[in-house]
Amino acid sequence: MSSIKQIPVVEAKRTNPLARVFDDLVRFCRSRSLFILHYCTGCGAIELPPAMTSRFDMERLGIQPMVSPRQADILLITGYVSIKTLKRVILTYEQMGSPKYVIGICSCTVNGGMYWQSYATAKKLDEYMPVDLYIAGCMPRPEAVIEGLQQLMDRIHAGEANSWEDYYRNYDYYLGNQQKLFGEDWQTPTDVISEAKHYDLLSNGTLGDHTRLLEQHQKPLEALEMRLGHEQKEPAK
Amino acid sequence: MMLTLLDELLLFSGATLLVALFIGRGLAAGWMVTILYGGQLLALLKMAVLGYGGGTIASSLSFEIMGQELSWRFDGLSWFFALITIGSALLSSWFSCGAWERSYIRQGGNIWLFHTAMALNVFTMLILLASGDLLSLFIGWELVSWAGFLLMVLAGGVATSAAMRYITYAMAGGMAIFGGLALIYTASGSLQLEAVTTAVEQMSGAKLWLLVILFGGGFGVKMGLMPFHLWQAPAYAETPGPGSAFLGAISSRMGLFAILLVLVKLFGIVNIESLKLPFTPIDARDLLAWIAVFTIILPTFTAMKQNDARHLLAWHGIGQGGYMLLGVVVADAMGGAGGLLHVFNHATYQAALFMAVTAVIYRTGTSDLNKLGGLVVRMPLSFVVLLIGIIGLAGLPPMNGFVSKWLVYRSLLNQGMPLLFLAAVIGTLGTILSVYKLIHNIFLGQLRVEHEHVSEAPWSMMIPMLILSAIIFVTGLLPGIPLEWVASALQTVGLPVPDHTLGGIESASGSLDMIWVIGVLFAGFGVGALVFYSAGRSKRVHQLDNYAGGHFLSADVRYQYSDNFYAGLMHLIGGWYRGSFLWLERSIRSLVEFLSLGMQGLYRRANAEFYLLTTALFVIAWVVI
Repeated sequence: MSSIKQIPVVEAKRTNPLARVFDDLVRFCRSRSLFILHYCTGCGAIELPPAMTSRFDMERLGIQPMVSPRQADILLITGYVSIKTLKRVILTYEQMGSPKYVIGICSCTVNGGMYWQSYATAKKLDEYMPVDLYIAGCMPRPEAVIEGLQQLMDRIHAGEANSWEDYYRNYDYYLGNQQKLFGEDWQTPTDVISEAKHYDLLSNGTLGDHTRLLEQHQKPLEALEMRLGHEQKEPAK
Repeated sequence: MMLTLLDELLLFSGATLLVALFIGRGLAAGWMVTILYGGQLLALLKMAVLGYGGGTIASSLSFEIMGQELSWRFDGLSWFFALITIGSALLSSWFSCGAWERSYIRQGGNIWLFHTAMALNVFTMLILLASGDLLSLFIGWELVSWAGFLLMVLAGGVATSAAMRYITYAMAGGMAIFGGLALIYTASGSLQLEAVTTAVEQMSGAKLWLLVILFGGGFGVKMGLMPFHLWQAPAYAETPGPGSAFLGAISSRMGLFAILLVLVKLFGIVNIESLKLPFTPIDARDLLAWIAVFTIILPTFTAMKQNDARHLLAWHGIGQGGYMLLGVVVADAMGGAGGLLHVFNHATYQAALFMAVTAVIYRTGTSDLNKLGGLVVRMPLSFVVLLIGIIGLAGLPPMNGFVSKWLVYRSLLNQGMPLLFLAAVIGTLGTILSVYKLIHNIFLGQLRVEHEHVSEAPWSMMIPMLILSAIIFVTGLLPGIPLEWVASALQTVGLPVPDHTLGGIESASGSLDMIWVIGVLFAGFGVGALVFYSAGRSKRVHQLDNYAGGHFLSADVRYQYSDNFYAGLMHLIGGWYRGSFLWLERSIRSLVEFLSLGMQGLYRRANAEFYLLTTALFVIAWVVI
């Protein structure tokens, strides 16, 4: 019975005939202007300078490094992720604006690689955040990195690189794995649930036991509103 | 006896002073004085014909001392400067009423003395601007100097030593002017304005040089020209908020007024140009231009190093004075207009900037650029005022500072002075860098925990700031309005007048129409806004939800970079900050101290009879010979 539920329902046709053309244009533009966040872990980072600079020249594909996650599209995880680093990786990933893509480079991100026996290393990256693409190897050469990036571009253009939605749809699952690793009081500044509502991606997997646990201790960070009032409020004692 | 319009103005101004003096302790004294400034402005506007090319309006007050006739009158130049004086006094005084006044009294300030000093400054400035001969000019000059001292010394402490330094410079300048007057008197036997022209005709080159140095130096002290610039920044910055807005807006421009009157109008730029500096290819006019340019560059780059917002602005006040003098010294139609227009423009944005900084001090208690940040979410209107002000100060469209600086640059290019042009542009570069530091360290970046509860400045302070911002923008959009007054002032001092329209300047070598410039600029903003607002909803995030290399941020850790701002630039140019002028000032001071100590030792040791005998001998010798 369960498999019947999985039969995809064909979407109702859009009323605007140009909408699909426009969507295609948007996806094309998206795939041709990718910014990689300057955040590298482990040893695979060493393969990126040759990929970026004149020898292999990533920029001819429209891919450039970017200094802040708010403007970046791709998060490259270029090697083993220690538990301490993983906290930072998740913080950074959540700060990126959607659509965002994660590429795991090197064997360590796939299964822990040569750090399989380490107590301080996260083994499978996709337990903690959705990964679009893995480039295996120890380490993969720049050609392989660029090959992988091209595949990502093709998938973006085809509209298939949607794994970032999975983080919102199944947030409870990812949060559960994070809590298992970091402890129950784990919290990032980003309010993922309200973002899920913002993107209309709230689904059954978004909320669950783990998010309830989060809500118990979460101190939400409200944005600093522009305030015009002239009444001076005394600081709360 | 019929009162002329000028009499009315001076009486009104004197009445303001008396009101401040005698009932300045009463309730709502500040509002009363402000209304009286409004009355002065109306009295000035009744003379508006002067600002549109009219002749002169004399005062009925005039008398004779030792054969010298003293008279007072207003012409286009005086009217232009008086408009700025009274306008900035009105808005500064308005700013000081209400909330600021109360906090000033709470902190132990003497508000009666403050209002009296302001009224006295305005009154003496009007007397100076009205001077009709050299003697009344000198009297007005000294009055303005002492009135300025009264305002500067108010805050006590650091302000007192700054004011003492100012009065030392001002007295030295006054003595130089007095020496110049004596030279003119001996040459022509009169102190009427025309006497200068006669004296210039009769004098040899060397004496004329001396005269230019005496007058230029004396008036230059007030303007803060190099090398007499050291007193100005601390003296203006340490004055209580609205007072520094007023002083920064107009006070040192009295020096430019006197230079225009004596050096440009009476000497004539042609005569100054004929004075060659021996053994060099430059003449007195080039010398003035280069002094102006160094006055732009050095104080501007000193401003960049300041960590106190008020000091930063006060140093800029000196630097911007250089642009005014530079334009006036170039003395073609565009340069003269640019220099004089910059007086008006500078007054508007400098007052707005000082007021915005004072509003920040009022709310947070500090103007230390390393102790502020992120206030844009708490004081958004003050932020807008400061933003408009710094755009004006940096000389960028669409604000008024752009027009006057454009005119000065254009005249330098037209007259074939590329090196001066380059130097002026370097000055503007320094201005842009340092005003960015100002707005960044106060309003952008991280809001401190202790400023979470801060709110916008009260309306009594906000309204004058908004009025000034509106003036800055409107005169940037329609520079033809102040250019009319500038043209009238230029006619008075005998400089050529540019063809001006409502939107700017008509010229064969390139016109400027700000209506078009701003229209195109805002069309660009429109396109940007279209892209921004059509891109879907945006989401505001907390300042601690921010990226710092993956670090988890907390409110107790500062992640805003404000100390040692421009470290990279300072790595390159830091070695140039040698403090040579400070060293010079200190060495002169030590020399004077040393000499006076020597004299003291002499008269302490020897007996009085010996001195009496020596003096008597000298007197006899002098009489006999």
